[in-house]
Amino acid sequence: MTAGYLLQLLANGLVIGAFYALLAMGLSLIFGVLEIVNFAHGEFYMLGAVGGLLLINRLHFDYWTTIASVTVMGACVGWLFHRVLLRGLAGRSFERSLLLTLGLGMVLQNGALYVFTATPQIVRTEFGVSSVLLGDVRFSVVRLLALAWAAVGFIGLYALLYRTRIGQAMRAVAENREAALIVGIRPERVARLAVVVGIALCGLSGAALAPVYVVTPTMGLIFAFKSFAIVVIGGFGSIGGAAITAIALGVIEALVGGTVSLVLADAVAFMAMIVVLLLRPLGLFGTGVRV
Amino acid sequence: MTLLRVERLGKAYLGVKAVDDVSFTVGPGEIAGLIGPNGSGKSTTIDCLSAFQRADAGRWHLGDVELTGRAPHAIARLGLTRTFQAIRCYETLSLVENLLCATEARRAVGWRDAFFATARLRAHDRSARARAAELLDLVGLARYADAPAGILSYGQRKLLALAGALMTEPKLILLDEPVAGVNPTMIRTIERAIARINAAGIALLIVEHNVEFIMALCSRVIVLDAGRLLAEGPPAIIREDPRVLEAYMGGAPEEAEAGLRA
Amino acid sequence: MRRVALAVGLVALYALPLAGPSEYWMTIAATACAFAVLSQGLNLVYGYGGLMSLAQVTFWGLGGYTSALLAKDLGWNPWATLPVAGAVAALAGVGVGYASLRLSRHSFAIVSLVAALLVQLVARDWQGLTRGPLGIPGLPALRIGAVVFDSATRFYWPMLTFALVALAVMWRVMRSRIGLMLLAIRQNEPLAGSHGIDALAHRLLAIGLSAVLSGIAGGMFVFLLTIVDPSILDFYYTESMLIMVIIGGPGSFWGVTLAAVAFTVVPELLRLTSELRMVLYGVVLVGAMIGLPAGIGGLIARRREKQWRARLA
Repeated sequence: MTAGYLLQLLANGLVIGAFYALLAMGLSLIFGVLEIVNFAHGEFYMLGAVGGLLLINRLHFDYWTTIASVTVMGACVGWLFHRVLLRGLAGRSFERSLLLTLGLGMVLQNGALYVFTATPQIVRTEFGVSSVLLGDVRFSVVRLLALAWAAVGFIGLYALLYRTRIGQAMRAVAENREAALIVGIRPERVARLAVVVGIALCGLSGAALAPVYVVTPTMGLIFAFKSFAIVVIGGFGSIGGAAITAIALGVIEALVGGTVSLVLADAVAFMAMIVVLLLRPLGLFGTGVRV
Repeated sequence: MTLLRVERLGKAYLGVKAVDDVSFTVGPGEIAGLIGPNGSGKSTTIDCLSAFQRADAGRWHLGDVELTGRAPHAIARLGLTRTFQAIRCYETLSLVENLLCATEARRAVGWRDAFFATARLRAHDRSARARAAELLDLVGLARYADAPAGILSYGQRKLLALAGALMTEPKLILLDEPVAGVNPTMIRTIERAIARINAAGIALLIVEHNVEFIMALCSRVIVLDAGRLLAEGPPAIIREDPRVLEAYMGGAPEEAEAGLRA
Repeated sequence: MRRVALAVGLVALYALPLAGPSEYWMTIAATACAFAVLSQGLNLVYGYGGLMSLAQVTFWGLGGYTSALLAKDLGWNPWATLPVAGAVAALAGVGVGYASLRLSRHSFAIVSLVAALLVQLVARDWQGLTRGPLGIPGLPALRIGAVVFDSATRFYWPMLTFALVALAVMWRVMRSRIGLMLLAIRQNEPLAGSHGIDALAHRLLAIGLSAVLSGIAGGMFVFLLTIVDPSILDFYYTESMLIMVIIGGPGSFWGVTLAAVAFTVVPELLRLTSELRMVLYGVVLVGAMIGLPAGIGGLIARRREKQWRARLA
């Protein structure tokens, strides 16, 4: 158990945590703006990974084009998703949106299983298995690049939410829907953008992480469950809370997995969620206004 | 000898005090009114007393029993019932079934009786249905007894809600805006129903915007403004109270007076 | 008239194996019985109590593992394990329910989903207790005296009997005052509170009852499979239950029962692979949420309303 080993774990944890964050923030954004918990969120992430797999392995695109393309395709899918399925759900019963997105998730996951089978597949980028040494820590190139993409995602999201008009409108709606409506913000436009951004982030995450791990149709399920746990722990509607919780979770998981047991690492998110719910049902950073 | 005793009730949202140190009483068999301009804390008070919101401060008793901190269903079982501003009913259940649900407040039958359809349950059911029929008659909804509540109009639902409150055999009913959004004929009907309920010995605390409705029915009026108790007394006194006029109209006494007298 | 139909139906159900279907189809029949119990349990919790619980599969799985462990490790008589299986499931349900019923609906749905996953993770990874992903094989079959229920054809009879009893119990609860209170809680929880109805207690009762019955069903089923492994906790069961309740109509006893049988049998008739079956379920679910959110039961309720309006006009 050297310091180098721990640093390595920390670094890996940061990378995965960053992507947990992107997914959880997208989920939180969609919930905050539309009051819909997207139970298909993990499947969109999986589709991003599958997209990356196909573009690189089958169509021989290069790495950069692939990631960019998948992100853009994610945005388009998000637009479709909102237009076709979510738009009519606004304000309807909560179970309806739950079951609709759950059903969509079932279609996507099992459709992918049918087409690709459950066999894990490896994405063969032009970087192969090369890695770099930063001090004591060894990063595979794809992992380092993934981290860079995560940073891009964060910066893009921050810029959108804090530096643009419509981004501010999104935050306003997420924090206090009635007030936002009174002020005259058009909910549909904001909702559409929230979904587009959320799903694009899923696509980006999937494509960026695909070369780092393996691609299977069931990879979305556990990622989704962790995203839910993160949003519950961080507090519904709190985007910043989701980010902080996510990164913390990534790091804790990596540390626990590398030192105690991998099995326990997976359970950390869920046990933490249960503890938080028992002690602070609104979440650690919950705004307390909407439950 | 008071029935409802409220002491120093308080509730705040995000730093804003919706109800601030409010104390009042309601006597047995009395009809009291709770009025005040928008945002004065009337509905919040009702919500706190019936535990649909958690009060931050204060205590309240019904008779000798303290109600503070209890769950909503427990308070109903102790004899304090409320109606809701947004009319509520069980849409797909029949009117009779709607009323049968309210008998839970009397806790006469348990799960074992219910599952095995014991004699005790059957007897309870018979008397409950008879009482439900009586109440539906009282509010003029008898012909809809077996129809699903979803077919009722807005005003009819208000009457059903009143019947439901009666079904719980309360000592005191908190009415939250019983005539809001209701046409004048229906207002008369509801007014008469309330009078008959009171004649049977049940006390009422009525929250309303319709000040003339309150003045006509209530023997005592409590006025809130910005969460605090402003004034309390018989309608005739309250009507003339300059503080009340000012609270309602922000200082145009003649118009306010006219509004309160009309 | 109704009673005659019911009697005939019962006779037909019991006589089914005599018509000579294959082992394969008798397994399907036994599975249909199990699903009828599971989905009716979800109906009780959701269609009556208004709780979107995605953890019902956990009761079935806990029951299966409890029975397996008691029979294999402690050598219990399989029949004796069943009440314990039900009790364990009920304890889990009531315990978790009590802790999470104070949460918002969104949180409750998520917690139930995650709890189900957590239990499956434990089943897969706590090798010391559950033998891990390979499960616990070599379970005995149920027997009464010299009669051993080791084939699907024979197993069908005890399974059918249990399913009928379980369904009868749930039907009785739904029809009784308890069912009425649950419906009230589902349709308007604040109003129910003001009527003195204890929503928490009633919901815990629904959860507990569905848990006991699902747990026993799970316990019985592992004695047909003669093995239990983590796949008994798969999300697949939750997805199937949801379809059965949503399409059958939440709150409709017969709708859900028929849907359970239909959604077990029809995909087999169509010879769908399990993935395609799930795709179909997903499409049906999405379609239902767009076009028919209250299920077939909802259509019936709306028609009833229309009839009354016409009659009273």
